[in-house]
Amino acid sequence: MAQSSSTSPAVQPSGAQLTTTRTTVEFRAALIAMAVVALIPLGVSNPYWLGVLVVSMYFAILAGSWNLLAGYTGQFSLAPATFAMIGAYTTGLLNHYFGTPPLLGIVAAIVVAGLIGLLLGRAVMRLVGPYLALTTLSFAEIMRLVTANSIDITRGDLGLSVAGLMDSRVGWYYLFLGALVLLLLMFYLLLRSKAGLFLQAIRDDEVAARRAGVNVVFWKTAAFAISAAACGFAGALYAHFAELVTPELGLIGQTGLIVSMTVIGGMGTLAGPLVAAFLVYVMSEWLRDVGGYQLVVFAALVVIFARFFREGLWGLAKAAVQRGRQA
Amino acid sequence: MSGIDVDLAVNGLITGLFYALMAVGLSLIFGILRIVNFAHGEFYMVGAYAYTLIALGLGVPAWIALPLAFVTGAALGWLTERTLMRPLYAGYTSWGLMRDEYAVIVTFGLSLFLINLVDKVVGPYAFRGPALVETSRVVLGPVLISGHRLLAAGIAIAVIAITAMLIKWSFWGQQIRAVSQNRLGASLAGIDTAKASVIVFMLSGGLAAFAGALLSPVINASPDVGIFPAIKSYIIVVLGGMGSVPGAIVASLLLGVIESFGAVYLSYQYRDAFGLILLMLFLLFRPQGLFGEKGREV
Repeated sequence: MAQSSSTSPAVQPSGAQLTTTRTTVEFRAALIAMAVVALIPLGVSNPYWLGVLVVSMYFAILAGSWNLLAGYTGQFSLAPATFAMIGAYTTGLLNHYFGTPPLLGIVAAIVVAGLIGLLLGRAVMRLVGPYLALTTLSFAEIMRLVTANSIDITRGDLGLSVAGLMDSRVGWYYLFLGALVLLLLMFYLLLRSKAGLFLQAIRDDEVAARRAGVNVVFWKTAAFAISAAACGFAGALYAHFAELVTPELGLIGQTGLIVSMTVIGGMGTLAGPLVAAFLVYVMSEWLRDVGGYQLVVFAALVVIFARFFREGLWGLAKAAVQRGRQA
Repeated sequence: MSGIDVDLAVNGLITGLFYALMAVGLSLIFGILRIVNFAHGEFYMVGAYAYTLIALGLGVPAWIALPLAFVTGAALGWLTERTLMRPLYAGYTSWGLMRDEYAVIVTFGLSLFLINLVDKVVGPYAFRGPALVETSRVVLGPVLISGHRLLAAGIAIAVIAITAMLIKWSFWGQQIRAVSQNRLGASLAGIDTAKASVIVFMLSGGLAAFAGALLSPVINASPDVGIFPAIKSYIIVVLGGMGSVPGAIVASLLLGVIESFGAVYLSYQYRDAFGLILLMLFLLFRPQGLFGEKGREV
């Protein structure tokens, strides 16, 4: 990359040090949280709750990937669930029509979702704020309508049955956890490198970043493609876990859930969205049994967090720790 | 033009009138705050429910329930502006960077909240409001139309005309236009920008709720009924040029006709996709819309 050798005001050593430290602290916190999650199957053997946790991890991957795009690069896409749907259908269709083995299908899903993300990211390059949100929202709805209406190929709303990978719930549990930790590590390494600084510089002030020599077009598109590929990966894994793909994977409500988790956890932090994905999804399963007010509660929390606690749960936790140190 | 085409054109125009009730408010909000209100469809939903519950629950005549639905929407708009929109312009200068994201998140969250609240409080089943007139069909040459739809279209024309005139000539309408042309300049000239944005939100909420109430005998209101009308109004404000009221009205009628013909001559299944494709193409290649101004910084 030409810009990685150029020195720019955006990459002052002291600034790099500061950001690296913050990201590292968040990475460690996320690793501790994942270690706790890894221990859960020792105490919980109920397949229902293990399934709930697997779906939580699916959402944690999506929230983390969307956070890379929206929280770190400032591109507020409303299509993360759509890329999961694209990934799920890539492996689903390959498996259904050509009997492609799941592992190959998952790799294909990553590539296809990444390529579509690259194209969309390139197309929406110059759109900001509400314009970007609207364009990605229409992209999401068009993809879902096409999937639901191409009944000859996708069987529409009935969905497509897909081969499973294994029967063991615990096996799936650790497979999803492994995928989550792998992506976490990749995002951490990305954010700790100069690329992470470029992305955040673009988010904070695109014009200034360009003036400082950051290749804005390249990095914005790259963030879009990486985030899309990661969402496609999650969708493909989920397809083989559920052994069914339906257009419902791409519903705008699913994106709503991903946005909720990220905002409640803290946008632009590494640990927040991951932890919030577990909290939100497990709590919502639990609240479902006591009155079914879970979506009302979470929607209200999103509004309240966005309005009053902009750094989410991570910000609240950080403030609490700082108060503890001062006292 | 054969008879069926006339029928399609007239029915498309009528659908477009209902779209216009939604889109004008959305466009005004964009003009004054430079945000897209993702909870706009929920004002429509609340209007449909308010009308139906007031008319059927309290036994109030439909003619009184209709303006009450407008009032409910306006009250909700006032509340939204007061509690959630203030940070967009009052102080909080450090939020400047994440302003667009804040607006998207908070209105998106409000939309989810209202849908699920109504779903839990009123119930997920569909509601049908009372029709204004019981005539099941009126034949006008080749055009076949229900009595309620014809009357509702007439009311919609009147309301849109009054709104457009208020924006164009009334004292507050002129102040609103001044703020959307240049916020800082308007406030230097002594215009109360906060009050202008309260008025816009009340008007926008009221109009969307009014559209929901007018259509409630037709749409079988359920909690998520607002999603598609909202998406239509996003398409319209982009086609018409974000912030332009005449543009929104023309684009509404245009979209109504395009969908009406597209559903018959192109594909019924993909009738909802035509507008979305137009929306993407316009945002990518002509973001100022048909009537908007070019090159204004957001």
